[in-house]
Amino acid sequence: MNPRQAILSVSDIGVRFVRADGSPVVALNGVSLNVLPGEFVCILGRSGHGKTTLLNVIAGLLGAQRGEVRVMNLPVTRPGTDRGVIFQQDAVFPWMRVVDNVAFGLRVRNVPKQERLRIAREHLALVGLSSVARAWPRELSGGMRARVAIAAVFANDPPILLADEPFGALDYVTRRQVQAVLRDLWHRTGKTVLFVTHDVDEAMMLGTRVIVVNNGRIAEDRPIELPMPRSDDDVATPAGLALKHLLLHHMGLE
Amino acid sequence: MRFRSIGRPSDPLLPRSRTDAGGSSANPLGTQRKLVSALYSLAGIALFFAVWWAAASRLPRSRLVTPLEAGRDLWTNFLYSPRLGVFGLGKVGYGSLMLYTLSNVFVGLITGGAIGILIGVSSARLRLLRVFVDPVVLVLGTVPILVAAPLFLLWFGVVPFTQVLLVALYSAVMMVLFSQRAAENVDPIYERWAMTFGGRLGDRIRHILVPGTVPEIIGGLRITLASVWGLEIFAEILGAPSGIGQAIKALTNLSNVPGLLACVVIVAVTAIVTDVVLVVLARRVTAWA
Repeated sequence: MNPRQAILSVSDIGVRFVRADGSPVVALNGVSLNVLPGEFVCILGRSGHGKTTLLNVIAGLLGAQRGEVRVMNLPVTRPGTDRGVIFQQDAVFPWMRVVDNVAFGLRVRNVPKQERLRIAREHLALVGLSSVARAWPRELSGGMRARVAIAAVFANDPPILLADEPFGALDYVTRRQVQAVLRDLWHRTGKTVLFVTHDVDEAMMLGTRVIVVNNGRIAEDRPIELPMPRSDDDVATPAGLALKHLLLHHMGLE
Repeated sequence: MRFRSIGRPSDPLLPRSRTDAGGSSANPLGTQRKLVSALYSLAGIALFFAVWWAAASRLPRSRLVTPLEAGRDLWTNFLYSPRLGVFGLGKVGYGSLMLYTLSNVFVGLITGGAIGILIGVSSARLRLLRVFVDPVVLVLGTVPILVAAPLFLLWFGVVPFTQVLLVALYSAVMMVLFSQRAAENVDPIYERWAMTFGGRLGDRIRHILVPGTVPEIIGGLRITLASVWGLEIFAEILGAPSGIGQAIKALTNLSNVPGLLACVVIVAVTAIVTDVVLVVLARRVTAWA
């Protein structure tokens, strides 16, 4: 892959933490990757192996001791509007109505009120939440709040979307429905997505490419050559099952 | 079932009711619960007066009078009380003296509270400021009112400013602590998310820190308000040009039990009314919580 074509370029990233007892922890060690525009890259791995750390470094929320992250050939030094983030934890502002949450990014960028409300309502319609635009977040279910977060990030129109296990707290059925919402929006907008997950099936259902992170290193990086949009049957083909076993092996599970 | 009007029944992700989504209920059961709570409150007040009445009927009148007698004293002396003029308070009644106390509490709480909130929230975010503020607050907070009030009287004299400053000082100290805790309790995830939308420091203060701390700060204001009534009245008793504390001092000298109890009632009623006003305002500001 030519790094010059990449929308996101991660070069030799190294991150170390120091525990409370003074012992060092290597969270990321020499991680490099390039992501092309429009890719849906799933970063897969077990808990505590560096997936979230990598995403936080790319988001600009965490500094790396070594290496460099570049977005559209510009170095990342802090969070920016070119990288929207959906966190694992529910981050929808409880003190703002749903529509104001979705319009928040536009508000801090001083988009005129009428314009930002129009955009927010459009995106609420895209995630099927037009009817709750004036509701408070506490009045929504977990799945609905996840969709509010998706709408808020897409309304801000970042070229790159970073998602850190955003549906981990949802039940199976709701998770599948919200995954479909995200996949449809990605398909519609053609944005670049980096999606952190520990769920192999989720990665295989959503991604065009999967990167396995194990012990702070990239253990595997390969495209998922299954038809899109995928069904459970597509993932259960011999090719899909072989890929699943390979990914599980690189995660250190088989 | 207000929520049904905003939800699409065909959407499986929409909860069936506000209760399903974890929201507060707006149904007949909720109204019934409120009614029961109100009845319990009324029963509590009735029990208090019953105990007062029973105690007054057993004790000599020089010790305790019935609520009716205290109420009669309050009624006759509310606008004008000739006996207070003897003590140099002029042509005043309990009402005008209470108004003086109320205005001192109000001005002291607003100014001290505002300063306390500003320092508290800022020091929760700026470590250097915190290192400086915490010992100062600790020292000021441990100075007993019995020491501070006479000192203030010596420094500033028998003027309204003395009591206002005392209330402001204690309000500020309490609100620093409440606001610090409120700011620390705002989940950092909100600020992180705001940053990813391009939110700068000013945006984060305005859209995250301020609304996120309001519920706890209002709770702190209620506790502070309840505490400063006692401080203000104590400061007035020690020395003030007016105020219900001066009336209490005068009536104590006259051993006037009905008058003293009338003053206690008027202070209690004013404190309850101001608290109710604060609660109503809080509900409006924190409708989301």
